[in-house]
Amino acid sequence: MKLEYDILIIGSGAGGGTVASRLIPLAQAGARIAILEAGAHYDKSFFTQREIEMLDIFKDRGAWPVADGSITVSTGKAVGGSTLMYTGVTFRLPDDVCEDWGVDGITPQDLNPRFDRLLQEVNAIEPDEATFENDNNRLFREGCEKLGFPVDKLLINIKDCEQMGFCNLGCAKGHKQGTLEVQIPLAQKGGIEIIPNCAVDRIAKGKVFATINAAPKGSLPGKLAEGNYEFSVKKIILAGGTAGTPAILMRSGFQKELPAIGKYITLHPALVVCGIYPTKIKNYKGFPKLYFTQAFSKTHHHYLETAFYYPFIQTKHTGLWGADLKYAMKHYNNMMDILILAHDEALPENKIMLDKNGEPQLHYKLTQKNIESLCHAQVQCARIFFAAGCEEAIVPSAKKALFKKSEIEDKYLEEFISTKYFVPNKTPVASAHLQGGCRMGNDAQTSVTNAWGQVHGHDWLHIADGSLFPKSSHVNPYLTIMALAERVAEDVKKSL
Amino acid sequence: MANYKLFDKRIFAILPVMQSYQLKYLTGKRLQTFLAVADRIIPPDADSPGGGTLQTAGVVDWALDKMPDDLRKKILLFIIVIELLGVFFGGKPFSKNSDAAKDRQLRWLESNPIRLFRMGFFGVKTYICMGYYTREDVWNTFDYDGPVVRERPYVDAMIREMCQGKVEVLA
Repeated sequence: MKLEYDILIIGSGAGGGTVASRLIPLAQAGARIAILEAGAHYDKSFFTQREIEMLDIFKDRGAWPVADGSITVSTGKAVGGSTLMYTGVTFRLPDDVCEDWGVDGITPQDLNPRFDRLLQEVNAIEPDEATFENDNNRLFREGCEKLGFPVDKLLINIKDCEQMGFCNLGCAKGHKQGTLEVQIPLAQKGGIEIIPNCAVDRIAKGKVFATINAAPKGSLPGKLAEGNYEFSVKKIILAGGTAGTPAILMRSGFQKELPAIGKYITLHPALVVCGIYPTKIKNYKGFPKLYFTQAFSKTHHHYLETAFYYPFIQTKHTGLWGADLKYAMKHYNNMMDILILAHDEALPENKIMLDKNGEPQLHYKLTQKNIESLCHAQVQCARIFFAAGCEEAIVPSAKKALFKKSEIEDKYLEEFISTKYFVPNKTPVASAHLQGGCRMGNDAQTSVTNAWGQVHGHDWLHIADGSLFPKSSHVNPYLTIMALAERVAEDVKKSL
Repeated sequence: MANYKLFDKRIFAILPVMQSYQLKYLTGKRLQTFLAVADRIIPPDADSPGGGTLQTAGVVDWALDKMPDDLRKKILLFIIVIELLGVFFGGKPFSKNSDAAKDRQLRWLESNPIRLFRMGFFGVKTYICMGYYTREDVWNTFDYDGPVVRERPYVDAMIREMCQGKVEVLA
């Protein structure tokens, strides 16, 4: 079937949702604009807060490992993209990181006013301690303060949050201000269509070839019937993220002229480590994230954030099995968690490739520097746990992953938790912050787009997602993706 | 060998059985291996059942049905590999070995210099933990209250009721 549009946006996460909301004036002036989303369109009433049921909203049901299996990657596959299952942690791109990106035109002066506007738009607030500080957050703050680590408050994009604690399984009340709740409804009201379950196979100048699949049970049906479609279109904006956008470009034959497609991926390699507190603290109750410390960002390349997870995911993070796992999970209500996010380097060998079915496969290897960073962070987390009053800790890269405070003196912790106990495919490294793969820059040999997200040599094709990042953002990336998407929308509006 | 069948019977004696689920992937010898591995990954103790029950197998089988084909095939193949390698650790296939021999083999897989063995162990362990810790009938053993929107329905009643121990899992 053939359909005609002026602009098609492929993807509906932080990038696609934002660019759509910025193109509303064009839609209101008569331009025909649609968002094609590979995933389903779920309403907030779909989110049941049960882990096994909510696998539906993740790419490959949460089982998308890197090619060598050493890191599990979580990324959204539904209307709203990864904003559906993030916690809403909101960071501006740090000025020094922005400058290190070295992309002409991407400057703190350009981005900071955009961040100011976006923070208002997504209702990013600093939750007050009296209302939001559960024990997990309190213990992290107290532990850091005792050790002299600076603690900063996180900005969170929530409205009327009831602190149910299941943010990473989709907000059951729609209070998390992701694109599903903010930009997509605005875009729809403004005349932009949303076409869910639409898997784009390839693109060419003026054309998008896609398949519309059946709407899964429980999702909102789209207007178009199942089948193969050929869309005629003037402008295409790819916003399928680091997993999706490079794959579409590769399937469409762009790699020969733009060899950087798919390369320079960063992941924010992450570990979650646990402390066991002597009394029950029930940390899955309440808002999971309030604080972070950047004490070691410059020296050891990691951030530590508060976090808490549900039983099954918690078992995965511990890396334990047997009697140790049973013991740990019996103390689930005594656990405090810290999320470690390492700053990784953008390397050309870390890349998206297509598998035999034409689907993206992520090839990524942790460097020795990443491993050292993750191990340094685990030592600091153990110190925070013990300073906060925990009597035991679960640290995957320790000589003994589950250990008591009384078993090891502080001065020996760096020997006890070290790179020699970090075993890829055993140490449970995860990622939820895919970045890069279509990096911005000036040179078509080493980058894919210019600073406005326009693909080199193709004025009909833009990219508006995290794949634009030339290097790691060091921080949770969604706000930066939105700011870049806003720039893309401006460029598209100028050129139409 | 853990008494998983007895545990299942106890569950069904006190809960009304509403429907049944026929295992599709974890069948025959593979089921026996899965149950034996699951009982070492999550061993039974005085307060709670082990992982090696048909209820856990049912949840994992349901999840396997929905995962990408190639990943499912790898997991299922690795379960057979575990069974066969058992002879090197206790003289018999994995499911027939002593608990000590089973644990020795699983530790060997977990830290093996060959990446594929570590990957396989990690994958199988993850699915076993999913099959066990998403079951609402074991949540009370570690005092987990579960969802706030507990009564909100899900589109697939089978998995909800299986996790609640209301479905008879058929081997």
